[in-house]
Amino acid sequence: MIKHDVVVVGGGLAGMRAAVEAAEHGADVAIVSKMHPVRSHSGAAQGGINAALGNREDDSPELHAFDCVKGSDYLGDQDAIEAMADDAPRQIVWLEHRGCIFSRLPDGRIAQRPFGGAGSPRTCYSADVTGLVILHTLWEQLERFGVKVYEEYFATALCVEDGIGTGVVAYNMRTGELELVTAKATIFATGGLGRVYAKTTNGYASTGDGMAIAYRAGIPLMDMEFVQFHPTSLKENGVLLSEAARGEGAYLLNSDGERFMFKYAPNKGELASRDVVSRAEWTEIIEGRGVDGCVFLDLRHLGREKILERLPQIRELALDATGKDAIDTPIPILPGMHYAMGGIETDKFGATSIPGVYAAGECACVSVHGANRLGGNSLLETIVFGARAARHAVEYIKSVGSVRQSARTLLAEKSRIAEILARQGGERHPQVRKRLNGLMSENVFIFRTEAELSKAVEGLREVRAAVQTMTVMDKSKTFNTDLTGLLEAEFLMDIAMPIAYGALQRDESRGAQARTDFPERNDDKWLVHTRMRYTGPTSDPKPDYERKVTFTKWQPQVRTY
Amino acid sequence: MAKIVLDLFRYDEAVDEEPRRERVDIDFNVNATVLDALEHAKAEVDGSISFRRSCRSAICGSCSMNINGVTGLACKTPIRDVLRADRSVKIDPMTNFEPMKDMVVHMDPYWDKYSRLKPYLQPPDRDEEHERERRVSPEDMKKLVAVANCVMCATCYSLCPVVSVDPAFSGPAAIAYAYRFIEDTRDGQQKERVAQISDDYLWLCAHCYACSYCPKHVDPHDRIIDTKRRSIQVGLTDAPGPRHALVVAKTIKQTGMLAENEVIAGTIGRFNFKGLLKVMPLGLRMASKGKVPPLFMHPVQKVDEIRTIFETMEVPIAS
Repeated sequence: MIKHDVVVVGGGLAGMRAAVEAAEHGADVAIVSKMHPVRSHSGAAQGGINAALGNREDDSPELHAFDCVKGSDYLGDQDAIEAMADDAPRQIVWLEHRGCIFSRLPDGRIAQRPFGGAGSPRTCYSADVTGLVILHTLWEQLERFGVKVYEEYFATALCVEDGIGTGVVAYNMRTGELELVTAKATIFATGGLGRVYAKTTNGYASTGDGMAIAYRAGIPLMDMEFVQFHPTSLKENGVLLSEAARGEGAYLLNSDGERFMFKYAPNKGELASRDVVSRAEWTEIIEGRGVDGCVFLDLRHLGREKILERLPQIRELALDATGKDAIDTPIPILPGMHYAMGGIETDKFGATSIPGVYAAGECACVSVHGANRLGGNSLLETIVFGARAARHAVEYIKSVGSVRQSARTLLAEKSRIAEILARQGGERHPQVRKRLNGLMSENVFIFRTEAELSKAVEGLREVRAAVQTMTVMDKSKTFNTDLTGLLEAEFLMDIAMPIAYGALQRDESRGAQARTDFPERNDDKWLVHTRMRYTGPTSDPKPDYERKVTFTKWQPQVRTY
Repeated sequence: MAKIVLDLFRYDEAVDEEPRRERVDIDFNVNATVLDALEHAKAEVDGSISFRRSCRSAICGSCSMNINGVTGLACKTPIRDVLRADRSVKIDPMTNFEPMKDMVVHMDPYWDKYSRLKPYLQPPDRDEEHERERRVSPEDMKKLVAVANCVMCATCYSLCPVVSVDPAFSGPAAIAYAYRFIEDTRDGQQKERVAQISDDYLWLCAHCYACSYCPKHVDPHDRIIDTKRRSIQVGLTDAPGPRHALVVAKTIKQTGMLAENEVIAGTIGRFNFKGLLKVMPLGLRMASKGKVPPLFMHPVQKVDEIRTIFETMEVPIAS
C-alpha cells in the first residue's frame, strides 16, 4: 500500500518542479510516472524559456504579460498571465542557482534570444536543448531531496471519496499489478495529447493520460479546441525543429524562394506568433507555392559556426531524417501538431473543481495561453505552475486529517483491466487508434469548417463504439505495453471528442481556431472559455460557456504582427 | 517498401526459463528507423513485442538496444544501415543489464551509479534566496553544454567491457556526469567529487574507446581522461591507477620507452613489499620464458624530441 501526503502524477518538468517545491516545504511527496523522469517529453523542448530578465534589452514582466495576452488572442486569463510573467525571473534564477546550464552572454549573465510574438529577446536558452537541461536540473533536485519516484507506474484512475481527491490507482508495469496510491493531495502533470493526431511533434508517451483521468472523474476540460500546430516540423517524421531557428534569424521560403511571411505579418515576418505562421505556411502550400506539401526553413545564411553552436540538435535531427544538412540546404518543413492550449480546468493556483486535485503544465488549462501559446511559455508554465500547485497543495493538506483509502476504486479498476485482458473478437487497439488519428488529422486541422468538424464528430462517435471492444494480444503481467497502449487509446478517445466538438461549437476564428466559415473573431459572443464535462464512455461531452475570460489591464484589440 | 526480417530476442522474466528468438517478417521502408520497424511490427503483427520508447528523436534516451550486436538508439538507426545480407536485422536488449522482457531491461543498477555521485549542484550558498543569476563565462558554460547533451540512454554503459567484468565500475555515463559537476565553476565540492568518482573505480577504465560511440556526441571517453587528469591535478595520486599513469609517463619521458620494471614498482608502490611479492611469481614466469625487461634502459636517440612533446602537452610527471 502506497501512501504519501502529496502525490504527483507525471515526472516531466511540471511534475518534478511540483515535487521539488513540496519537498522543499517538508512535505512527504512522491512521483508516480509511466516513465523514468528523464525520459519525459519535456526534454524534447528545444528553444527556451521566457522571463523578462532584460539581459539583452529593456524588458519587464508587464511587457511579457502583454505579449502573452495578445498571443492568446485575448482568451488567456490576465490575472494568471500576470502571475506567470511576474514569477518568471525568480524561477529562472531559482533554476540557475540549482545548476541549470543556461547559455551565457559575454558578461556571464544568462543569454536570451528573440522568439515569435515577443516584443523583446526574453527567451533564456541552452543552445537548442533547453528542455533537457532543465529536466536534468530538476531530476537532480529529486535526487537531492530523495523524492520517491514510482517509476513505470501507469496511472489509470483518480480516487474520489466524499467529494475530495484521495490519490490514484496505478498499474505497476513491472509486476502487472494495480496498486492504490493514496494521497491527501494529487497533482496531475502528465503533459500533452499530441498522439490524438496522426502526425505530431510529441513523443509516443503524450497521450493525454491525466486529462482523460481527471475528465472521467468529473473535472471539466477547458478550451480543448485550441490545438497548436508548430510551424516547423519535419515532413518525414513530424519531429520538431525549434522556433529558435527563426529566433536566430532563419527564413521561411516558398517554392519561388520568396520569404513569404511578410505578406502575412508585415512587421514580425518569421517571428509572428505560431498560429499566424502555421496558417501562412498552409496557405502557401494549398495555393500551390509549396514543394511536395512543404515549405522551407532556410538556415544557410546563419553560417556553419552559429548553427553548430546554437542549433546543433535541430541540424542533426534534420540530417538524420532527411539526409540534408541545414548548413548548406534549406530543410522542407510543414506545420505539425505540437501543443494543447486546453486541458484540465484549474484556477490560477492549479486547483481543480475537486478539492485535493491539482493540475500543472501542459495537461492543465489555467489559462495562460488562451487561444494560442507563445514559444518559450510552455517551459515557463511548467515551472511557475508546478511550483504554485505544490505550494497550494502543501497548504491544503494541513487542513486534511486523513483521507479514506479508495478500495472501491482499486477494485473497480481491477475488474475493468481484467475484463480488457479477457476480451475476445474486437479490433486490436492500434487499428482503432489509427482511425481516430486519421479523423483528427484530416478534419480538425489548421483551417476548420463546419462540414469537416461535423464529419469528425460523427466519425468519432463510430470509433467510440469500437473503443469499447478493443483487444490486446499480450496478456502477460510483465511490462505489458500492449495493455498500456490500449489504455492510452481509450484516453485519446475521451479527449479527442472535446477537441472536435469544442471546435464545432465555437463559430469564430481566434488564435489556433481558424474557421474558414467564420473567419472573424467574435468578442461579443466568445470571450468565454469552453468547458466540457464527461457524460460517459459512449455519450457526447456536455459543454458550458459560463467561465468568462478574466481581464485586468488589456482590452481586446485587433491582433496583427 | 521492401521485405525485411526482424530477428528478435524474446523473453519474459516472469515465465521464461530461457530467452528465445523470433523472426518477424514485415514490408517496410528501409529509410525508416529500426524503432519505426519495431512499432510497425508491434502494431500490425505481434502486440507482445516489448521495448521502451518515447520521443523518437534521440532526446529521451529510452530506446537503446543492441542492433546486430552493437548498442545504439533504435530511433536514430536507419534500417538501411543495418540490414544484413539476408535482409534481416538482429535485435537484442542492451548488454550489461538483466533483461526483463524482450528489449526492456532492468535499469536500476545504472541509475544507482548516478545516485552515488550526489548528482546535484552543491554551491556554498545553495539554500539562500538570490536576486540574480550567478555570472558564468560563456566558455565555462560551453564545456558543460557538451556533456549536458547526454540523454542517459546507457548506450556507452552497455558497450563498456569493464562494466561486463566488474559491475561495480561506475561506467562511462556516470563519469561524464561527474565531470559535469567537477568542471562547473559554481560547484563547491570539486575535490570531494573527484575523490568519490576515483573511489568508484574511475581508474579501472581501460581506454578501449568503445564509449566514444555516443549517439549524442558526448564522448564519455574524453570526459574520463579529463576527469583522470583533474584527479591528478587535485593531488589524488596515492592509488595504483594514478601512480601507473604517472610512472608510465615518467619512464617514457626519461628514456623514450616503457620501463616495465619501473612501471610495476611504481604502480604497486616501491616500498609495498607485500604487493611486490604478489607479482613476483609473474616475474619469475616471465623470466623462465626469457621475457625479462632490461634493468637499465638507455634513452633512445633524439629523446629530447620526446621530452619536448611532453613539455608541450604539460603532462604532469611524478617527482
